[in-house]
Order: sequence, then structure tokens, then C-alpha cells
Amino acid sequence: MFDIFNVYMPIAEMQFNALILVAIGFAVGVLGGFFGVGGAWVVTPALNIFGFPMAYAIGTDLAHIFGKSIVATAKHRKMGNVDVKLGIISIIGSVIGLEIGAQNVMWLTRIGLAGPVVRYTYMFLLFGLGFYMLYDYFTKDKKATAQAAKMAAAAREGTTIAPRKAWNLPPMIHFPASGITISFWTVTGVFLFTGWLSGFLGVGGGFIRMPALIYLIGCPTAIAVGTDLFAVLFAGAYGCFTYGIKGRVEIIAAVLMLIGASIGAQIGVTAVKYIRGYGIRLLFAIMIIFAGISVVLKQFEATTAAGWVVMVAAMAMCAVIIAGLWRGFKKEQAEKAGHF
Amino acid sequence: MKRIVVIIFNFCLLTMPALAWAAAEKAEALEKKINLGNLSGINYFFAKWYNENMWVYAIIVTILMGVMGGIIAFVTDIFLKMAGLDVSKMEHHE
Repeated sequence: MFDIFNVYMPIAEMQFNALILVAIGFAVGVLGGFFGVGGAWVVTPALNIFGFPMAYAIGTDLAHIFGKSIVATAKHRKMGNVDVKLGIISIIGSVIGLEIGAQNVMWLTRIGLAGPVVRYTYMFLLFGLGFYMLYDYFTKDKKATAQAAKMAAAAREGTTIAPRKAWNLPPMIHFPASGITISFWTVTGVFLFTGWLSGFLGVGGGFIRMPALIYLIGCPTAIAVGTDLFAVLFAGAYGCFTYGIKGRVEIIAAVLMLIGASIGAQIGVTAVKYIRGYGIRLLFAIMIIFAGISVVLKQFEATTAAGWVVMVAAMAMCAVIIAGLWRGFKKEQAEKAGHF
Repeated sequence: MKRIVVIIFNFCLLTMPALAWAAAEKAEALEKKINLGNLSGINYFFAKWYNENMWVYAIIVTILMGVMGGIIAFVTDIFLKMAGLDVSKMEHHE
């Protein structure tokens, strides 16, 4: 029935369903715009399930990520969610870290340990990050109450609360868009580390950088999302070009995915306006736990099941984000109507 | 003295990753020629450049993705505005 949507892919030299490509692009566009990630961890298994040739999967994915990131970053910038200065440092740090990570993997490959070490690190990272973010979400009210009590006690006694200790090695940098002042070395160290992790694990790194921007740098969630997308844009451009030179980009598939992803990204970015920072963190935590489950399934050779887990989770998360956007929009309309 | 120590420390921190980066290895390209016999129009154009010069093909892909991203962003923005989903600078609430 859906054969009428089949389109010829000149580089892969095969027919493929355009509807599937647009749908995958749309889903990953919503997630990318909302979480500030590229979404290769969703696209590659999804393409695998539907029989897209794997030789072109990563390159095609990176090509569409580049186009989609332009859409999402432009919109986030309009909303004041992109810290360009922080983004540039993140790109430089990440590139250097990524190369070091790639070197480490090559060394592990030479001694025959790359497979298990990378997989277990990946699982540990996904589950660790996911459960930490869940813990952070469910204890946020308790922490806020404790902080308020501390401040009240300090006010009664006429003292001030000592600020949290931070590593203040000069030069210090101020980021006006994020409202933070931090040591250059802390920022560089964090991005070297996140870049190293993405090189080591062979992933784009958006899902590592976004929580790092929140928890290690101290960015507001929406700015972490926008700034991460800014970095993803450059990584996507670089990936698109280098994979293009290697002949691994199926251009028609990339265009079709980009059409879906650009529309999805607009929806995802707009949803950031209606869902508060902690809501974004909660949904992100759930999503990466599902990604972790998918990696566990892969470890047990259940590749198809792993692909389905991540794809169904991505679809469900899209539905939740769109529902959140719709609720927020309706509420805003009702409030506006109430004012007049 | 403290200033000199900071400068030396900064220099060392900058140099170490740069050395590792310089030693990076490069990945290999996919060796393939596409049969142009039954292709026409835009498919022929892409496949021809793919066969003849991969650098030009990569530039075409990158520019096309960038330009399409920009155009789609502009057009969907208009539609979203019409639907009342206009976005402007937002306040950051956690």
C-alpha cells in the first residue's frame, strides 16, 4: 500500500520509502529541538530496522542533522537560548577531546579490549546520567525547601550563607547570556571531557554535553539546550562534509529526512517555551534510560529489539512533547483571553 | 611570580591535548562507482559528481543541507506565526 511513496536513491542505488524517512526525520527533529541533541542514537537503529543500507546511515544522518540544527538553533537564538561564547568554547574543547577519545579507542582496539570497554562505559554513562537526573528531579522540592530554611536562618542570625566553593584558576570568563562567571579551565576541562567521551563512545555527544552544561557549568536548562544545538550544528556540518568526501551520504534520503526534521525541530523548540527546565530534564532522563536499555539489548545480540525499543521510546516521547506544547499553548491562549 | 606560574600552567594545559590531536589517524573512503545508465535529472546530477569528484559532491551535499535548512526554517516560521505559535525571547524558569 505504501509502495507509492517509494523513491529511488541514486547513491545507494535502491528504492526506499520516502514516508519512513520523513517520519524518522520528524521524530528526531522534535527530540533534537527539545533536548538540544543531534539524535543519531535514534536515527541509526531506526534506519537499520527499515533496511536502509548501513554504509550510508551515519553520513546521511549527519547531513540531515546539519540542516535540522540550523532550523533549531535559529529558533533557539530568537528565544535567547543560545550562548554563542560558551558554544564556541564547547566546539573547540569537544573537537580536541573527541580526537583524544578516538585515539584511546584505537589503542584499546590494538589490545583487543575496545568492544566490551566501550559498551560498558556507554551503559554506565546512560544509566548513571538517567538515574542521577531522575533523582535530581524528584528531590528538587526537598532541596529548595532546605535552601530556603538555610537562608531564613541566616537572615534571623544576621549572617550570610557562604557561596559554594569553585575552582577559580585565572583566566575567569563571564558568559552574559547564561549569567555565569567561571574559570576558563573549568569550562575547557568539562568540554574536553565530554568531547573525549563522545570520541571514545563513537557518538555525537549532544546527549552528554546538554547535562554537562546544566550540572557542571551551571547553565539554565533552556540555554543548555540552545547552546548544545549550536555546537551540534558545527559538528553536523563537519560530519556532513567529511562523510560526503568518503562517499557515505545518500543525498536524496538526507533531503527527505531534513524535510521531516525541520518541521519537527520547529515543534520541539517551541515546546521548550511551554515546558519548564525540570520538565525537560525529567523527559531527557527517561529517554536516555531507554537508550541504555537498547544498548543492553545490543550487548545480548538482540539488535532488532534494541532498535525497536529506542524507536518506540522516541515516538512516545514525541507524543509527550507535542501534548505538552499543545497544553501550554491552550493555557497561554486562555490567559490572553482572560486579560481582554 | 604567581602570574608566571599561572601562565606556565595554562600553556601546559593547552599543549597536551594539541599534541594528541595532531597524532590522530584518518578514516578511509568508500570505493564505489554508480551506474549512470538509467539515471536522469537531479539523480544523474548527484551521481555524476559522486563518480567524478567526491570533494565537489561533499560541497554540494553540505551547501544543499545548509540552504534547505535555512529555507525550511523561514517558511515553517511563517506558518507557525499564522497558527499563533510565535516565539520571542523567553524567561528562563527551572
